[in-house]
Amino acid sequence: MLNEWLYQFASWLDTFESSTNLHESLYMYGWVESTHVLTLTVFLGMLLVIDLRLLGVGFKNIPASTLVDRLDKPMMLGFIVMIISGVLLFYAIPVRSTQSIFFRVKVILLIAAGINAMIIRRMTRQRPLTWDYDPSPPKKVRVGAGLSLTFWLCVIAAGRMMAYDWWDCHKEMPHFMYWAAGCVNELAAFEQ
Amino acid sequence: MDLLFIFEWLDTSMLADFSKSYAGLFAIVQTFHIASMVMLVGMILLGDLRMLNVLLREVPSQKVIDNTGKWIKIALVTIVLSGVYEASAIAMKLYFNTFYWAKMAGLAMGLAYMYLIRNPIYRRAELSGLEPGGAIAAEAVQPWVVKMVAVTSLVIWFTVSASGRWIGFS
Repeated sequence: MLNEWLYQFASWLDTFESSTNLHESLYMYGWVESTHVLTLTVFLGMLLVIDLRLLGVGFKNIPASTLVDRLDKPMMLGFIVMIISGVLLFYAIPVRSTQSIFFRVKVILLIAAGINAMIIRRMTRQRPLTWDYDPSPPKKVRVGAGLSLTFWLCVIAAGRMMAYDWWDCHKEMPHFMYWAAGCVNELAAFEQ
Repeated sequence: MDLLFIFEWLDTSMLADFSKSYAGLFAIVQTFHIASMVMLVGMILLGDLRMLNVLLREVPSQKVIDNTGKWIKIALVTIVLSGVYEASAIAMKLYFNTFYWAKMAGLAMGLAYMYLIRNPIYRRAELSGLEPGGAIAAEAVQPWVVKMVAVTSLVIWFTVSASGRWIGFS
C-alpha cells in the first residue's frame, strides 16, 4: 500500500518538466549536488566538533555548553541548505530515488539520527550543565554522541551507495528486496 | 613532468586488482573518504571562522586552533590512504580527468598554504595580542591580514571539496 502510494507520488513528480530539466541539465544538477556535499561538510563538520566534545575525546579544554551553544547556528544553517539541496536532488530523479533501497535506508537513518539529536539536545540544553568543564561527560551523553556519529557515518554510506545500481528494480533479486525497494511493477509481475 | 607511468603502475598493481574486485569495499572506502573530508573541512572551517571572529569569540583562538590540529592530521592521513585505494580502481580514467588534477592541485596548494602561511600567521596573531588573552609581541599581524588568510583558506578547501565531487560528473 505504502509502496504504491510512494510510487504514484514519485511518478507524479516525474511528470514535471522542471524535474527532467534539472536531471538533464549540463551544470545545474552538478551544482546542486556540490552544494549538497559542501553543506554536508558544514553541518557534519560542526556536529563532529560537538560530538567529539560530548564523547570526551576532543576539545576537552573548552566547556561543552560553549560548543553546543555557539556551533548550533552554523550547524543548522548547513543542515537547512543540505536538506533543500537534498530535496532538489530527489526531485530531479524521483522514481529511481523512491525505489532505491539505499535511499530508504538513508531516510530511516536520518529519522533515527534526528530522534537521537533531540535526546542529546535535551541532555545538553540544561543550564547550568553540571559536567560542563569535565573532560569526559556522563556515560549517557557519550553514548548519545557515539550513536550520532555512527548514524551519520551510515547516512553518508547510504547516500554514497545510492549511486550504485546493485539493488535497482531492473535487477534480478530476492522477493523481499523488491518489496523493500518498493519495486511495485516487479512485485505485481511476481503475483501474476 | 609526465606522471603517466605512476598511474600505469597503479592500474596494474595488486591494490588495483583488489579494489576492482570488491565493489562493496570500494563504496565503504568512499564513505570513509567523504567522512574524513567532512572532518578536515569541519576543523579548518572552525579555525578559520574563529579567526574571522564569527565563532567562539569567548574562547582564545590558540585553544581552538590547537584542538583542531590533531583531527586535521587524522583526517589527512585517512583522506590520502582512502584516496590512493579509490584511485587504484580507476587510475587511467583519473589521469585523463581535468577535475582530478584540479583537486590534486587544490589539495597540494591547501596543504602548503595551511602549514606555510595559515598556521604561522595564526600563531603570530595570537602572540601579537590581537586575540583576547594574547601576550603583546614585537611583530604584530594586522587584523585584515588574519581575515584575508582565513577567507583564502576557506576558498581553497571548499574548492578542493567541490572539484572532488565534479570528478564524478566529468
